[in-house]
Order: sequence, then structure tokens, then C-alpha cells
Amino acid sequence: MMNLLETDNRTEANASDSDGASASPGGTCSLSTGSAVGAAPPGRWLHRAAVVLVAMVWPLIWIGGQVTTYAAGMAVPDWPGTYGYNLFLYPYQTWLFGPFDLFIEHGHRLLAALVGMVAIVTVALAWLVEPRRWVRWLTVLLLVAVIGQGLLGGVRVILAARTLAMLHGCTAEIFFALCVTLMAVTSRWWWQQDSAKSPRAPTNGPGERVPGRGVIVAASALVVAAYLQVVLGAQLRHVQPTASPGGFTHLVATHLVTAVVVLGLALGIAWRLWTLVRSRTETSGGCGVLALLKPAWLVVSLVWLQIGLGLATWVSRYGVPTFAQVGPRSSSYLVKSQAFVESLIITGHVATGALVLVTATFLLLRMLRFRHTRLSLLAPTASGT
Amino acid sequence: MPLSRHLVFWSLSLLIGWGSGCDSPTDRFPPNELFARVVVHPFSGEFERASTDVGRLVESLFGTPDSPSIPDRLLAAGDGEPLLDPQRLARASGPVSSDREGLNFGIYRAQCVVCHGLSGDGFGPAAALQNPYPRDFRSGVFKYKSTTRGSKPTRDDLRRLLVHGIPGTGMPSFARQPEDDREALIDYLIYLSIRGEVERRLLAWSVEELGYGEADGPTSAEDSLVLLDSGRLASDELAEQVDEILEQVVDSWLRPEPVAVPTPPTWDVSELASAAARGRELFHGPLANCASCHGTDGDGSAVTLDFDDWTKEFTTRLGVAPSDPIVRDFRRAGALRPRPISPRKLSWGNFRGGSDPDSLYRLLTVGIAGTPMPGLLVTAEPGGVGVTPDQVWDLVAYLQSLSADAPAPAPRSAE
Ligand code: HEC
Repeated sequence: MMNLLETDNRTEANASDSDGASASPGGTCSLSTGSAVGAAPPGRWLHRAAVVLVAMVWPLIWIGGQVTTYAAGMAVPDWPGTYGYNLFLYPYQTWLFGPFDLFIEHGHRLLAALVGMVAIVTVALAWLVEPRRWVRWLTVLLLVAVIGQGLLGGVRVILAARTLAMLHGCTAEIFFALCVTLMAVTSRWWWQQDSAKSPRAPTNGPGERVPGRGVIVAASALVVAAYLQVVLGAQLRHVQPTASPGGFTHLVATHLVTAVVVLGLALGIAWRLWTLVRSRTETSGGCGVLALLKPAWLVVSLVWLQIGLGLATWVSRYGVPTFAQVGPRSSSYLVKSQAFVESLIITGHVATGALVLVTATFLLLRMLRFRHTRLSLLAPTASGT
Repeated sequence: MPLSRHLVFWSLSLLIGWGSGCDSPTDRFPPNELFARVVVHPFSGEFERASTDVGRLVESLFGTPDSPSIPDRLLAAGDGEPLLDPQRLARASGPVSSDREGLNFGIYRAQCVVCHGLSGDGFGPAAALQNPYPRDFRSGVFKYKSTTRGSKPTRDDLRRLLVHGIPGTGMPSFARQPEDDREALIDYLIYLSIRGEVERRLLAWSVEELGYGEADGPTSAEDSLVLLDSGRLASDELAEQVDEILEQVVDSWLRPEPVAVPTPPTWDVSELASAAARGRELFHGPLANCASCHGTDGDGSAVTLDFDDWTKEFTTRLGVAPSDPIVRDFRRAGALRPRPISPRKLSWGNFRGGSDPDSLYRLLTVGIAGTPMPGLLVTAEPGGVGVTPDQVWDLVAYLQSLSADAPAPAPRSAE
């Protein structure tokens, strides 16, 4: 143990565990809101830019989803201009007070352009303040992705191609996940994990346990399954007019089965992390796993919400299925085309799906980081004993 | 750095995640292979030739999904107001877009195609998951209307359907859509139905008269439906017959027969109650015998096994049981899995054709076209095989009393 004290003294002041989690003498973990005291990690501005990006991309996905829900993808026939105007010079009166589908489509383009600009700033910031080379390249990847995404959206309009609209929807979520990745790897928590090597970090106890390979695999599978759901959902939303009923039915079935898989994985991961927290507090008082348990809980809640929204989406779009028509109200439910509340439910299902994906990604990244830093910490100890 | 490798791995595997490809073609209406199979079935011959030749002929008359055309005879039809308006048709057809003023185009594809299919065949992508199945417009049979059982609906009927939708099914209300859009949809709906029915009649005629479907089939251009390079048929005689078929279908849309509804009696509250009691008697009695299908007090408990006409067409009417494996051939040609039709549970209210007294009166005297729901025979005098108009009103009173929770207005009572 002592050798560790000598080798790592970077953030000695970080006595309490990361992410505001601390162990009380009684051995239970509590989540305090006060952030850990520690030297400010480098690249704070890059992190802030990443947070801004995340905060902008989610609404962007909402609006993009509304474009599809309202079949407004072709509300503006040209690109990159809007009805011959430069994107930024299109008269705002006709935009704000014109037809609704033009309002959302043009708004989607404007917000997307803004995200592109923030992405440029992000790259600049990264090359100024970020010490890790791969993170700098990650921001470049982000910029390339947002440009590609814009082009894809444009080509979709020019070719009037539904398939490209579907791809555009699928790549949007990858871009969102990339933004969250940048946010995660530039966060204070991320930097603080190195300080876990500090002797006063309560993670070096004899009962120390890190998430095993199994949970990591499960979290990876969760990311894959969540993305598969995105792709399946996009195919349902952008179904071709001549697609066969058999194929569509098959897609719906797969979407439902994968939903159960996603829920099962999320519950399994949360449960496993919870047992880790419990066993840790009993033996060592370390509460670092809480930083994993919290996003895992979030994923579980989001998945439940998402399942509810999915069912509501079906009902809003296709009415109450026969097996669920159990009374006068359910058997007389009327589907309303392009009703506003229903459109929010449908698009909310898209947006929450994106949240499930990025929260799962966030969880996976944290798990990898946590496991990696703790294991590299334990390894010399193990060899020393 | 292991993490960066992870990132690369994920990015790559996620990118490969989507299947790519192009839009499926919408440049042609799919031919009615299902009905071609049905008419060829007794001859157990080749159905593809009939469906292809008739499909081309129909295309020369009606155009394509992206640019529909109206045959001259149809354009000229209608006294005063034409049956179809080319501009409205253009708005409803083609790919989805909208212009700067918010005028929508491709409305059918934006709103309807996912269930009703490109050609109105009721075989859209989401069709198999609907109950009842989305309507196949091509046979020209409509359930909810103010006209006689065999008649076409009026424009008003279709208008009402689009505004109110059909509660309890996937059929939405388009009340929020601009009125122009709904009008355009009505034109397109009539267009699809006429187009589909002409195609069906041509198929039947080509098999019965021209020898399509038989092994040798029509041999010379003179008696086949293959179009010449000029876009015409080889023989004037054939062209005349095609025109006649077109005329018959168009005529049926021009002159739908309305069902007359007599003035309802005026009842006070106690008279209304006794009318409902008499109606209940009739409902369960031998004359109307509604309970045999709808169950005691319309609770839907009666066990029945029947199918709608769209299903019967390729099953029982061909002597094929709906469970027969041969049905798979028809399903491959564009039919959905046969699903029994169940008489509705009436105690929950929600009459799809309308809960107002007039609609219910019509429902009871006409029945529901395309389904086993029969119409009552109305006679002026009581006794015998029919019911009197007053007895029908009794039944209406009973139906409305059944669904106390339903938002149905009571029959006009004198207050
Ligand atoms: C041969 C069986 C049969 C008989 C007899 C019968 N019905 Fe029906 N009825 C049906 C079927 C089947 C449906 C459902 C049709 C559909 O879903 O399109 C139906 C539907 C209805 C509906 C719902 C209509 C709507 O607008 O939603 C009402 C009301 C109704 N029947 C009343 C009656 C009454 C009253 C009688 C007696 C006069 C009667 N039925 C006799 C089979 C029957």
C-alpha cells in the first residue's frame, strides 16, 4: 500500500470518493451533493462545450423526430437553402408564422447548423486545452459526424428519399452518443478516477470489488440492443409504401422482443451493481460503485418510461389493439391524425429511445473506466502480497 | 489506450448496424394478382398473364401512382360537378411534400398508404396488425354509408368518415387536416376504387370471355388485351367492351341510391322506455333474431364462425376452407390471413357507422355491406316476414339504451 502513496499524490485532497458519494462511518453510502474537493481537471471548457452539445442535440432529435411525425421532411424542397434563401437569411416572419411543417423543418435546419458551429468550437477548444490526443481526435470525429449528418439530411431532401431519412434518423443517435462520450471522458469524475490511487480514496480496502467482465459484457449488449431498437423503430417510422405486411409485422415483433431484452439487461446490470455497492459498504466502506449505480438506475427508469411511451405510440398511431379492448372506453378509442399531444407521445418515444441509448453508453464508459483504473491499482498490490 | 480501441470498435460496429438501400419503387400500381388468381382458380391455369395484361391496360387508362390520369369517359361523367377533379387528384397522389404556403401533396402516401396500400388494396405494411383489416377499395364495397347495401357511398358519406374516423379501429379522424386535403383524399379514394373495380371486371371478363387463364390462352393480338405500340388495343370491338366496363363502374358512382329514413316517432321518457322494451323483445325474438349473432342483450356471447366478403372471395366461395393450406397461394398474391368476423358486442356502444337514430335506422334496414350483418326486411303492415318502420325505431331505441356509457344521443324524445 505504501508504494502507492508514494507513486501517486496528484490529487491528495480528494479524500472523499468521487461523484459526491461518501461513506459514512456506519458503512452505508450516502450521496452528498457537495462535489469532491480536488484540483480542477484540465480541459474544463472542453467539458462545458460537450455539455452544451449534449443539451442541444437532444432537442435537435426532438425536432427532427417531429419532422418525421408530421411528414414534414419535404416541407422545404431545396437544400442547403430554404426556398432559395440562404439558411440564415430566410425571413423569420414566414418561418415563425408560416405553415407548421415548414416551421419545424426549417427550425430543424437552423438548430442543426448551430450544433455544427458548437462542434467547430469544440474542436478548437480540444486542441487548445485537452491533453489526451485521442480525445482531441474524438472531437474531430464529432465534427465530421455532424457534417456528414447534415449532408445526409440534405441529400435526403434533394433525392426525396425515405430510406435516407431513415439513415439520417439512425445516424443522429450515433452522433448524440458521441457527444455524450465526449462529455463523459472530459468530466470531473473521469479525471478523478486516477486519484483512486490515492491512499485516502476508500476504494483500496480489502473487500474491493469492481464490476466483473460479465456486467461489462451486459452493458455492451445493452448499448447494442438499445441501438438496434433505434434502427428497428426508424424502420417502422419510415416504412416504405410498398413494404409487405409480413415484413412490417416481423419488425414490430422484433422491436417488442428487443424491448424485453433491453429491459432485462438494464435490470440485470442495476441489480448486479447494487449487490456490489452492498458488499462494498459492508467490508470496505468504498462507495465508488455508486457512480455506476446511478446511471444504471437512470437507464432502468428510462427503459420503463420508454416501454410505456412505445405502447402509447402504438395506440396513438393505430388505436387500441383488439386484445386490449376491454371496456366501452378502450373499444371506442379514436385515432386522430396529426393531433398535437399524440405527436408529442410519438416523438417522445423517439427522443427517449435516444436517451436510453446514450445513458447506456455513458454507463458502459464509466464502467470501463472504473474497472480499468481500479484494476491497474490493484494489480501491483496483488503482486506485492 | 484500451478505451480508444473500444471507441473505434463501437463506432464501426454501430455504423454497420443499418441496412442501407434505396426506396422501393412506386412507379407502378401493383397488379391485382389476388383477384386474377381467384378468377383463374376454377380453370387452375396461369393467372400471371391475365394480371399483367390487364394491369398494363389499366395503366393506360388510369396512369401511375405518381401521375394518375382520368379516362375521358370518367372525366366527362357527372352532371354539373364532375366525379373526379384532376387537380385534387394530383394533390392526393405522388410522393409526400408540401409547398411554401403549406399546401400538402402526396396526402394519400402521407396518411393512408401504411394501411390501405399503394393501390388501395388494403395490403399496406401495417395491414396485418389491424383488426378489422384495412379496407380493400378495389372491390368497391363500402360498409358505412347512407345508401343501399349494393350502392356506392355518397361524397358526403366519405367526408363524414374522414372527419369522424372509425372509433375502435385504426382508422383515424382527419378532422385536423385542412378541408382541402380531405376533399383531395376523397377524389383519390374514388379514383382508386374505380380503378380497382375496373381492373377486377376486366380480369373476370378476360378470363371468362377471352380465354385468359386457360393453358393456350388468347393466341392472336386481335383477341388479347396486349396493347399495340400506339397504346391501343388491336381490335375496336375489344376497346368498346373495355369502355363499357368502365362506364358501368363509373355509373355506379354517379347514382348511389339513398336509403329513405322515415320521420322518427316522438316519445316521452316513459314511451321511450317501453319502445326500448319492445325493441329488446324483437332483438331476441324470431323475427329480427339479432341475439343469434350478437348474444343475449348484445353482449357478444354468441358463438359464430363467419368471414367477411373480402375473405370469402378467395376461400369459401371457391370451395376452399379458410384454414386450407391452399390459402397460402392467395396470401402470397396479396391476401391477409383469413380472420373470422365477429358480430359486435353491442353493450359497449360505439356504433362505427354512427350512433344517431337515422344512422342506426339505416344500419338496421340495410345491414353492413361486405359482412354477414343482414338488413331487416321492412314492410308497411305488421306480421309476416318483415318488420314495420315503427318496429325498427323500437330496435333503435333498444340499441341506444344498451350502451348507457356510449356518447349516444337518445332518440328524439318530446320534452
Ligand atoms: C348473421 C349474424 C348477424 C345478425 C343476425 C345480426 N347481426 Fe349485427 N352484426 C353482425 C356482424 C358480423 C357485425 C360486424 C360487422 C363489422 O364489423 O363490420 C354486426 C354489427 C352490428 C352493429 C354495429 C354497427 C356499427 O355501426 O358499428 C350493430 C349495431 C348491429 N350489428 C345490430 C344488429 C341488430 C339490431 C340485429 C338484429 C336486427 C343484428 N345486428 C343482427 C352480425 C349479425
